[in-house]
Amino acid sequence: MKGSCSSISRLLEKYFDQEATDKERFLVESHLQDCAACQGALKSMEELRALIKSPLEEALQKEDFPWVWQNIERQIRLQEKQPWWESIHSWLDISPLFKRKVWIPAVATAVVLLFITTQIIFKNTSSYPGASVVEYVESETNNVMVYDLEKAKVTVIWLFEGPEEEALPS
Amino acid sequence: MDHEETEMISRCQQGDQEALKEIYDKYHTKVYRIAYGVVRQREDALDIVQEVFIKLFRSIKNFKGRSHFYTYLYRMVMNTAIDHSRKVGKRFISSLDEEGSFEPSDGVEKGPERILLQKELEDRVKLALNKLPAEQKAAIIFRDVEGLSYQEMAEAMGCSIGTVMSRLHYGRKKIQELLKDYVMLHDQSRGGQNSPKL
Repeated sequence: MKGSCSSISRLLEKYFDQEATDKERFLVESHLQDCAACQGALKSMEELRALIKSPLEEALQKEDFPWVWQNIERQIRLQEKQPWWESIHSWLDISPLFKRKVWIPAVATAVVLLFITTQIIFKNTSSYPGASVVEYVESETNNVMVYDLEKAKVTVIWLFEGPEEEALPS
Repeated sequence: MDHEETEMISRCQQGDQEALKEIYDKYHTKVYRIAYGVVRQREDALDIVQEVFIKLFRSIKNFKGRSHFYTYLYRMVMNTAIDHSRKVGKRFISSLDEEGSFEPSDGVEKGPERILLQKELEDRVKLALNKLPAEQKAAIIFRDVEGLSYQEMAEAMGCSIGTVMSRLHYGRKKIQELLKDYVMLHDQSRGGQNSPKL
């Protein structure tokens, strides 16, 4: 007998599945000639395969596959005519993002950050120049400019001294 | 993947139902065989065929063509069938009718005893398959029912060839153990008195 049963057993399965190389096939066939146990093991695998496979062919011949296709078509058509609210619902259902609670703190943090950033940006921006009111009041002695910052509710008053008198010729 | 099939898949990815029909015509018997191999029941196998092609139409856009289309499809069938058998497994009762049983291959006359024996045997095969881990069951169905090569199985199952061989080996070993008494009866009914006991 060539080779021990234990060394052949793994090859025997490859041989049975027609995956053995030429060399492996030669080894197995040589061993099988003299080993009743391995012949039995091979036959067992054949029996098992027949047992699993045999009802299939019979069942296959009796099936009405055109009818199955009609059902598939009908199902697809039904799914295509889904009302819009069901489509949204099913989209939400399948979207794993909406199912994961882990997103809740992340979204909350993003909202808070956005709020803070917005506040900072608006705080640093000056009020619109056009919204301010600039007014001159002239008198004989002084020039007064009134500058109203509407937004800040602040009034700035510049008081200019009167125009320098031209030096009189001595 | 031939040019015709690539074109068919591309049309289906754009929502063409005619293309889906072509895919169905080409693959429905293979899908049925795998589904039947797992659930061992005609009605359930047909439900799985329907479910798979509806799923395929919805998800074929995800197929990028990196593997063979049939391995992509077979993986989908196997996952659907295993999910299905998990659902119905709990309420499984022996329900093979005469239509679902198989004819003796050696021409032995079909008497009532023989029908009963076949029904019992088929129920036992179903129970034994259900006792296997899903990966071992998938390996046995892919190889012994659909005749896929180790390479094709590795692609469909997303694992190495070594893992495929290991799943086959342990799956077969376990199922032989679970069916040993029934296989002996099966042999006797076929006149195989000298056949080895599993």
